[in-house]
Amino acid sequence: MGARLWTYGLLAAFLGAWEAGCRITDISELILPAPSVVLTTLWHGLSTGYLLPHIWLTGAEMLLGLAAGCGIGFVCGIVLGETAFLRRVLYPYIIASQVVPKLALVPLFILWFGFGMTSTVIITALICFFPLLENTMTGIAHIDPQKRELFRMLGATRMQTLFRLKIPSGLPVILAGLRVAVVLALVGAVVAEFIAGREGLGAMIIASQGMMDSPQMFALLVVITALGMLFYQATLLAERWVLRRHMKGTGQ
Amino acid sequence: MGFLRIDGASYTYPPDETVVNGVDWAIDQGAFHCLVGRSGCGKTTLLKLAAGLLPPSRGAVHIQDAPVTEPSPQVGFVFQNPTLLDWLTAMENVLLPVSLKRRPRVADRGRAAELLALVGLAEYAGRHPRELSGGQQSRVAIARALVNEPLVLLMDEPFAALDAITREELQADLLRLCASRRTTVLFVTHDIAEAVYLADRVAVMAEGRVRDTLDIDLARPRAPDLRYSPRFNELCRAARQAMDAA
Repeated sequence: MGARLWTYGLLAAFLGAWEAGCRITDISELILPAPSVVLTTLWHGLSTGYLLPHIWLTGAEMLLGLAAGCGIGFVCGIVLGETAFLRRVLYPYIIASQVVPKLALVPLFILWFGFGMTSTVIITALICFFPLLENTMTGIAHIDPQKRELFRMLGATRMQTLFRLKIPSGLPVILAGLRVAVVLALVGAVVAEFIAGREGLGAMIIASQGMMDSPQMFALLVVITALGMLFYQATLLAERWVLRRHMKGTGQ
Repeated sequence: MGFLRIDGASYTYPPDETVVNGVDWAIDQGAFHCLVGRSGCGKTTLLKLAAGLLPPSRGAVHIQDAPVTEPSPQVGFVFQNPTLLDWLTAMENVLLPVSLKRRPRVADRGRAAELLALVGLAEYAGRHPRELSGGQQSRVAIARALVNEPLVLLMDEPFAALDAITREELQADLLRLCASRRTTVLFVTHDIAEAVYLADRVAVMAEGRVRDTLDIDLARPRAPDLRYSPRFNELCRAARQAMDAA
């Protein structure tokens, strides 16, 4: 409990110093708006419902991209993890696809899929794909050799070994990949909107910049941070639920 | 002759590291044999050859005159570690060999519960492995190996990681279980006293060969305080000398 108190205390101290600093130096709102100003703007945006469609849109893009990227990453991770030949053939391509800065692809995607949701979702999916692929491959590869021999001894088929030994054993590692993907997904969605979006929180930041509306930019940052923390916490809860049987007896 | 028969079996790890070198061995039905030897003498590899987990480079393994070419449901294997699945309860772990073949029936559950009771874990059926002590996990692993009522049980130092008292309890329980089912057992260990206490016959291995054989003429059932009898100590000394000579 002590640590949590400190966490909130630190936040309060930081905001207090910021507010005081703004008032004392009388700095322009354009450069650094005081927290009270940001809060007023944020409240206005939320209470008038002005921000809500943008929050929904970015949230939806993120979720769709996350689902598609993680789903495909998981399946590919299993296929590559199970077939050494495919892994050797395809892995260099996967690495290459990951070192390409994906956000640099956005202009191309705009050309192919137009402005808006499709391009953003595809970019987000591409970003989420790799952590799941990597962690799924790692998760199902590092199985206790004695447990593998146990399954051989019991005459388990390859599919049974996969679904009843490898995936359940690898689940903690796979879900750690999901947690990474969630964080990257929000970054991906927002930054893709910078370029490809007409609506959504990322597009709003660019619009606010155009209008030199710094308080609104800060308000949007607060919203994006809150959205990210919400998703992250939800992932932690989901992870705990999925692993509830793994965790029995570990005192967690 | 012999229920489980190893005929001139060799195993060579590529390119040319021969770890088992022309071993002949036979175990009658219901007999309990132990393989002792130092680390790296090839005893675990020999056990894997008997299990069909490794194919012999030369020679063959027969169970009831049928050649062993792959793992068979007639053979139960207990590994060095309990190798329980953390996300399953003790009961589900014991039922794993069944549930990989078909949906467990009421009779299967009954048999699993009975086995858990026989290894003293009747009240722990719903616990997960991490909620059990090391000795309890080993007991679950033995119950799992016996759930399909195998004719042959192969054990690879299953008690090596346990404390002395727990190990003695498990040895007594194992003898009782195997005697009541007339299970044929090949048990690998590096602990001479364990081998002498458990076995009808002990094979001393070194450098991939069986160097010596000891018949253990202690009466069955074997009481725990047999370990303090002069005859027991004599046999342990004989086994020790055989190991040193090998």
